[in-house]
Amino acid sequence: MEKTRILLVDDEEHIRLLFKEELEEEGYVIGIASNGFEALEALRSDRFDLVVLDIKMPGMDGIQTLNEIKKLNKDQRVILCSAYGEYQQDFSSWVSDAYVVKSADMRELKQTIKNVLGV
Amino acid sequence: MNFASVLGKVIEISHSNLEIEARIKAILNIVSADLHFDEALIYSLDKDKRLSCRFNNRSSLLFDLLSDYRCHVGEGVVGTVAQKRAPLFYTLKDIPARLGCLFYAHLDEVLPRYKVFAFVPLADDSFLYGVLFAASSSREAISPGEKVVLSILSRELGGIFRTYDLLLSSKKRITELATLSELGRILTSTMGPSAILENIALITAKALSASFATIKLDLAFIKLNGQRFTSGSIANNLEARVLDLEARVLDLEAEASRLRQPVGFAEALTAEAGEPGETFTILAAPITAKDRTLGTITLGRKLDQPDVQDDQQDRYLLGMIANYISSGLDNALLNIKLRDALRELGDAQRRLIENEKLRSLGEMTANIAHEIKNPLVVIGGFTKRLAKTVHLDPSENRYVEIITKEVTRLESILTEILNYVKEAPLLFERCDVNALLEEIVYLLSSDKGWSAVQIVKRYAPDLPPALCDVQQIKQVFINMLMNSFEAMRGKGTITITTERTDISEKPFIAISVRDTGGGIEPAYLDNIFNPFFTTKERGIGLGLAISNKIVVHHGGYIEVKNTPGEGALFVMHLPCQEKPEDGPGGAPPQTVGWTRGERPVRLKDAQ
Repeated sequence: MEKTRILLVDDEEHIRLLFKEELEEEGYVIGIASNGFEALEALRSDRFDLVVLDIKMPGMDGIQTLNEIKKLNKDQRVILCSAYGEYQQDFSSWVSDAYVVKSADMRELKQTIKNVLGV
Repeated sequence: MNFASVLGKVIEISHSNLEIEARIKAILNIVSADLHFDEALIYSLDKDKRLSCRFNNRSSLLFDLLSDYRCHVGEGVVGTVAQKRAPLFYTLKDIPARLGCLFYAHLDEVLPRYKVFAFVPLADDSFLYGVLFAASSSREAISPGEKVVLSILSRELGGIFRTYDLLLSSKKRITELATLSELGRILTSTMGPSAILENIALITAKALSASFATIKLDLAFIKLNGQRFTSGSIANNLEARVLDLEARVLDLEAEASRLRQPVGFAEALTAEAGEPGETFTILAAPITAKDRTLGTITLGRKLDQPDVQDDQQDRYLLGMIANYISSGLDNALLNIKLRDALRELGDAQRRLIENEKLRSLGEMTANIAHEIKNPLVVIGGFTKRLAKTVHLDPSENRYVEIITKEVTRLESILTEILNYVKEAPLLFERCDVNALLEEIVYLLSSDKGWSAVQIVKRYAPDLPPALCDVQQIKQVFINMLMNSFEAMRGKGTITITTERTDISEKPFIAISVRDTGGGIEPAYLDNIFNPFFTTKERGIGLGLAISNKIVVHHGGYIEVKNTPGEGALFVMHLPCQEKPEDGPGGAPPQTVGWTRGERPVRLKDAQ
């Protein structure tokens, strides 16, 4: 069976590294983008089952990127993953499939990924 | 007879420093003695501009007869002389029957005693002061030389009268000015309003030789309303008259805007009252500001007061005083308004600065919290990875555990800080406070740590719903209960009371939480709502600060009643909804968003 592909979008290198290692351990294939533009480019050339998208990023932020992604493919699954929960009240974040607050404890993110993928 | 010596004496007397009346009388005596006139009388103008016989030589016989009557200028011989300002001389043969205004009774009987009569006007270049009347029984005629002497003499007398008038009017003026300047001094002094008004009453009574002067303010919105400031005492039987007059002044003021001037209608306001033999004149004037009546000033004076000035003058002065008080009060009112406005402005400015400070502090804090969170996640995340991938001995594992624990604590602190500084919009819902409390109490007390805590519930049965952000208020309640729990170190009684109250006539719900935790150190009381103030070893001091902020955002406030040694009582006052249909725009908005980790709402599900 083909492995699930996840695109990680975060401007912080160490976060990308941590998430990549943790998620690869779970058996996912991880693609990396360090900002919104790279993410859109990756999605145009490649297929991903899920995007884990940081919100606070320079240039195009996660909310804008989310909108662009949904324009590209309205069925693309996206989990917003931010340091804090405040964007939950932002109306435009509701088009994402889930919202996770970043934590050193990765269990929540992992569980949410499973939920969204419907595993 | 030596005319020069007569004139010399007259001039000496007229320039002496004798009292004015004494000078006039002395001159009349000289006329009588040296010029051999049995009668030397002076008619002068009284306050009604009528001529009346006021001065006489020592041996005059006619004075008593003539002083009973007065005449107009132009009337009779005296009046004609006064009008034409030219002397008239008669002998008994040609003297007209009318000396003054009337045919004097008995005059015919005494007149034949005299042979010559002289009427000389007392005037200077511009004014007429009176008429000199002289009659002689010992002379057949008045010589031209005597006529000249009489006319010089009359000019001299005119001069004395002018000085007299000047003195009299300047005395009035001086009293007036002294009074007004004293008023000015008092109105601009730093005395309190009551002292100022008392002093004004005193000065007014003094200036107008009144038995009493009383000021009554009629201003609903100032503290002194209805109070009376009196100098002197108002006799019991006059009180009703004074009150009546004050009411009339205010009535007049109310019905006619033309009466804005404080004087001019005093006619209507003069009332007489008092014991028989002690008649009083009562005079009242309104104290009016630009647009309204502020009160009244009333004075009462015995009618037989010796140095009573004429009534018109009194009204004028009383009006002036009322005007002074008005402008003084007006200023005071303006000052009060100005001070209030200034204080409000100051408060607003302080609040603005405070808000601005808090806002920038909030922004800074939020930014810092953001910057810290990511590295924290990285530290914690990799520590865990390290523990998983590398084989560690038990003590090293313990270190990893400590790092992980502390990272978790730091994360929750950051979340709390961010919760405090961020402006969370309120999502209003109708909330049954009793039910919410019950739910929270159930949750908390099901923890076994709470087994030693007794919870007493005193819920008001018909509590109207509060309109609030339920999640946020829930946080406040939990916080309050946790504080009580911690203050009692997990052992004691918590009493929860709810009741419907009114604050400034608006419906509120008061939710009180009382504990038996020994209370708060009085020294800490001022600080308990300040962010980052804590007495707990492991707290960061945001619980009460956040709770307070939430409650204040809801338009309520938290009150602390502290009994040191016993316990603390926190009362949350939340606005409530008396009638359910009063809700903004019908149905309240539903809580939006989702809690992390929940199965999210998907876009297509929502469509």
